[in-house]
Order: sequence, then structure tokens, then C-alpha cells
Amino acid sequence: MSVGGSERTDRPGDISDVVPDVELLRSQVREKYREVAVRPADRYHFHTGRPLAARLGYDADVRDGLPDRAVESFAGVANPFSLRHLQAGERVVDVGSGAGFDSFVAANYVGPSGRVVGIDMTPEMLDKSSETAAALGLDHVEFREGLAEKLPVEDGWADVVISNGVINLCADKRAVLDEIRRVLRPSGWLQFADIANGRPVPPEVMRDVDLWTG
Amino acid sequence: MLEQAGFSDVAIGEAVDTFAGAAGESNARTFEVFGFAFLARRA
Repeated sequence: MSVGGSERTDRPGDISDVVPDVELLRSQVREKYREVAVRPADRYHFHTGRPLAARLGYDADVRDGLPDRAVESFAGVANPFSLRHLQAGERVVDVGSGAGFDSFVAANYVGPSGRVVGIDMTPEMLDKSSETAAALGLDHVEFREGLAEKLPVEDGWADVVISNGVINLCADKRAVLDEIRRVLRPSGWLQFADIANGRPVPPEVMRDVDLWTG
Repeated sequence: MLEQAGFSDVAIGEAVDTFAGAAGESNARTFEVFGFAFLARRA
């Protein structure tokens, strides 16, 4: 099984021979998710919104308690809370927080004694998530602009790092994991959701940036 | 890759047919793509 559609090469962190231009990929991912932020009702190659959250098994009480704008741009691939429950008071980093759905779910679980920091690179997603947090009066949730490969979080700050459908969109997955490890405290938890392929993806397909983003 | 990156206690959840019924289902079927939850601990 290969996580996120990427195969390891001989040199850890160097996959330049099998992926498209990193900046081009990042730009196209940003554009795709800008569309999801501003036009959540459009049809994409993936499911979105409340039907997706229900399909992935999120707690009905939690998802139903959130306003539409917190859920409508959700585009995750599985449920990062399914293998471990967050504990009250935990400090959580959400890598690729999008419009904030998983961050708001995490905020519900950790409560006001916890903290949630969502990181995203798409301005329209950050605007949407920040406005929703303010509207909900969630003082223990904040959103910061940043990349998965360079998280704007201090060393060892997080008890838990969550992510959903994001690492597969990053060209250098090892760099992302190294950065996640940096922000986690010792023995901290990484609980994330992502896609994995059962059949290897040929190099010529890996180089097609359109297939990475839809 | 998780263990090579310094994580331990790796667990993987059941496969989720994430793209069933979506526009991307055909590509997902071609490469047997499913969604999974992953859990790991910083070693």
C-alpha cells in the first residue's frame, strides 16, 4: 500500500524525478481548494460537505451542531478521530485545515481548556475558517497561514497533530512528516486521514499534475 | 514511511470507499484508491 499515491525513492525526501514541479503542484492545489472555499456547491472529483461528513462517520451530534459554512467546504477522505478520541485540554495542530471543519470538531472534543491551531495555505479557506471561528465565539481556535512543509508552530507545542486528505497533495511527504514530528511533543499523537492506493501509480501518471488535483 | 520518520505504534483503520459515486470514482478504481485513518505516536 502506498500512502498518498507516492512511492519512496532511494533518496529520502528527494522525489523530484517522479512528481511534477513542486511550485506548480502547490499552485494548482491552492486554486482547486480556493474553488471549494468559494463555490462549495459545485461538483468536484471528490465528495464535499455534510453528506461527506456523514459518509465518513463523524459524530452526528458534532457535525449537526456546526453551521453550514463550517461544513460545506469539507473535503476530507476519512475520519482522523476514528482511531483515537481527543482528550479535554489537548493542544491540536490541524495541517491543511481548509475551511476548518476538522478544527471545529477537534475544538469540540478538547473543550475551552484545549487549543486548536489550523494551518492552511489558501487565503480563501483561511478567511472562511477564521470568520466562522469568530462567529462561533471559539476563542481556543485560531487559523494561521502556512505550508505543511513549514508549519508556523513552535517545537514540541502540540499534543496531537491531525490532518485530512492533505499529505497526498504534498510532493515531499517525508518533509511533511519531519515537520509534524518537530511540532509534536515527545510521545504526542499523529492522527490523520489520507488516501492510499493498492496498485502502483506509473511514473508518467505521477508527473501529470492534473491527476494530483482532480 | 511513518516509522522511518520517527513514529511508532502505527495503526491503520478500515478502508473507506471515499470516491464511490463521485466524479473521481473511475480514477480511484483504476489504482484501487481508498481512504484510511492512520494513528501513530512520536517515538
